[in-house]
Amino acid sequence: MIEIDTSSFIPFYEQIKLQIKTRISLGIVKPGESLPSIRELATLLIINPNTVARAYRELEREGFIYTRKGKGCFVTDDSTALIKKERTVILNQVFDEAIEEAKKLNLSPSEIKKIFERRLGLKTEDRK
Amino acid sequence: MNGILTIKNLSKSFGKKKVLENFNLNIEKGKVYGLLGINGEGKTTLIRMIMGVIPPDNGEIFFKNKKISFRDDTYKKEIGFIAEESVFYSWMPIKELLSFNASFYPKWNTQKANEYLEKFSLDPKTKIRHLSRGMKLKLGLIVTLASEPEFLILDDPTSGLDVPTRHDFLKEIIKELSETGTTILFSTHIVHEIEGIIDNLGILKFGNLILDEDFHELKNSCKRILLTSEEFLEDKIKIDGIITKKTNGNQSELVVYPWTEEKKQVIENLKPTSMEIKPLNLEEIFISFAS
Repeated sequence: MIEIDTSSFIPFYEQIKLQIKTRISLGIVKPGESLPSIRELATLLIINPNTVARAYRELEREGFIYTRKGKGCFVTDDSTALIKKERTVILNQVFDEAIEEAKKLNLSPSEIKKIFERRLGLKTEDRK
Repeated sequence: MNGILTIKNLSKSFGKKKVLENFNLNIEKGKVYGLLGINGEGKTTLIRMIMGVIPPDNGEIFFKNKKISFRDDTYKKEIGFIAEESVFYSWMPIKELLSFNASFYPKWNTQKANEYLEKFSLDPKTKIRHLSRGMKLKLGLIVTLASEPEFLILDDPTSGLDVPTRHDFLKEIIKELSETGTTILFSTHIVHEIEGIIDNLGILKFGNLILDEDFHELKNSCKRILLTSEEFLEDKIKIDGIITKKTNGNQSELVVYPWTEEKKQVIENLKPTSMEIKPLNLEEIFISFAS
């Protein structure tokens, strides 16, 4: 389910792009499968169709989806490989935010590092 | 002029009360223009003048580059209008109302009207007086969309309706947008519901637009700044565009538009203990500007 967060810094079309990429990376939509039409998604989110169209246009330009006239938009075969590359970019954003928060709390870089390593240890242990 | 609707120096008073004064507006073709303003700021008066219901005291209104004169009804065939309370002849059955309306509009789309009747489960034989408020709105929507308007004016269409009915209504508006790309002037009290729909935002206050901007740019450059500091900073912040400011002990909160790197530098030079920059949604933007 794609959702729009109106209080976010991220523009709506970017939010749509990001969520579609996430769904591709999680395998919810697979290469060759179709995305909802611009009208369907716009109606679902109650959002201007131009915003959805912009998100799709950019996803197409970046190589994640392709359009077949009259048939709709489909996920490309290359998309999964492309997303692997983007994972680092997405994680950088998340870490940047966390570091900013830590700075506000006056934590030093070595303290931040310690906290990160402890969390990482905890979380990876969960998985075992 | 490249606008579908252009208004120049429009003024209107009722008795001694000036409702609009030298009001200007330009709406470009294919855009959705959100018009906000607290009650009594003249939104409905403005819309009534566009619709030729009341004459302006001064100023000009152009629709598709043609000046509208009061009592000239020809341009109205290209404008769809949905208000909070649509006025229909209550004794008419739905079917009769539709054929009655069809005779006024050269581009009337009977097929579209019938499809909508079915979609909304409205029985053409039902008399209008027997319809609920939500059903009347849907009928108003059918009448408006079947006339295939180039320009759609929505004057607080969903106020007083329950959430599911409002959603249904907005979904149909979005569908119409994606099929025909019609231009919309959307005035509403339920501010958050147009957040994702509008291209431009106008806020009406004191008889004029205190804000008239591309909404995406506005969202990008209107920011809430949260500051904490040892000393009292509020009076030392010398930057333009402070829309609101609040101070509580050693914390200050500013809404700044437009927010720039230079302004950030000015505040950083005052050495606050912390500075947070946050975005605002439409409702928060409206409250900041209108209060």
